[in-house]
Amino acid sequence: MGKPEDAKLVGECQLLGLEREGIESSTNPNVVGVGIGRRNVRGFSTQEVALKVYVKQKIHPLLVKDGLTIPDEVEGVPTDVEEAGEFSIWRPIPPIYQRKVRPAMGGLSIGHFAITAGTLACLVRDAGETFILSNNHVLANENRGAEGDPILQPGRFDGGKTDRDVIGRLDTFIAVDPDEVNLVDSALAKPFDERDVTPDILGIGRLRGTKEAGLDEKVMKSGRTTRVTNGTVVDASATLRVGYQTGSYLFADQLIIKGERGAFSAGGDSGSTIVSYDGKAVGLLFAGSPFFTIANKMPNVEKALDVKVV
Amino acid sequence: MPSVAEVKKRHESRLMKMRGVVGVGIGQKDGKDTIRIYVEKDHPKIRAALPQTLEEVPVEVVVAGTFKAL
Repeated sequence: MGKPEDAKLVGECQLLGLEREGIESSTNPNVVGVGIGRRNVRGFSTQEVALKVYVKQKIHPLLVKDGLTIPDEVEGVPTDVEEAGEFSIWRPIPPIYQRKVRPAMGGLSIGHFAITAGTLACLVRDAGETFILSNNHVLANENRGAEGDPILQPGRFDGGKTDRDVIGRLDTFIAVDPDEVNLVDSALAKPFDERDVTPDILGIGRLRGTKEAGLDEKVMKSGRTTRVTNGTVVDASATLRVGYQTGSYLFADQLIIKGERGAFSAGGDSGSTIVSYDGKAVGLLFAGSPFFTIANKMPNVEKALDVKVV
Repeated sequence: MPSVAEVKKRHESRLMKMRGVVGVGIGQKDGKDTIRIYVEKDHPKIRAALPQTLEEVPVEVVVAGTFKAL
């Protein structure tokens, strides 16, 4: 038996079209790679070393076009044809949570044009008008935004641009106050066109109103970064200090949630609606530590902004 | 006996000023209400400064890390 290395040199020229002195060069359009590896027989790896020929698609020998059949051996080394598909550079399609979607819905990436990205909570209504709900630090850049500022879907970090991805304008925000105890981190954006938004929450569905969450209640959320996750309310009346870019703020009457399997949330999930298992909005996610997620109570959010969850 | 919420309200601003404390809440342990004190990290010095009960309500110390806006 010949040396696999020699067989590979010949195989590279005959199948992939490499140029080497003294070897005839040709290409086989179905071949995407040549290498040295174990020979597979009926799906099982053997000890035998073979010249591996990776093809886009493995086809029956009788159907292979004349002249494109891969020889049983090259330079005395057996060949092994393996289907590998087409190789491409690693360029994954971003998940839908981080893409532009119209009509936009809860769970998707959104943000003020100056921030990275957060999550669209849900739609709310005030006297027949529809608004997009999320956090102050997502839609109003921690009090630094001004009414009318462009809101991008997806957020800037996810490729949102001010010339083509503006879904609406900043309308109202509840300022976070460093000298007071805060109840909510919330803001509203007004969509340009109501047909650009829908009351669904990606992966969860429609909400069935709002309620107060109880201790030990099972909840879920849909967010830009960790998508749909499940957890439990482990504290329904917490007072906490939360760090922001602009400083630290005290919050009272908050929900603390612990994830069922691993983290319930991560950066970018801010703004997610916390939904009870009976489909009611119970919270507005805005902060977290390595162990817990923190959410405003949705009834407090509705009261502060004088709106109702759709 | 005062409710747990009342006890928490009376003590939380003082507790929140203590070193290493990031939050105060209400929990349950063995069917009884507790005052939860959330601490940044598990450190004997932080623990030693915390009360074990507040007006007869048991205190639970929970390591939470620091809370940050996401």
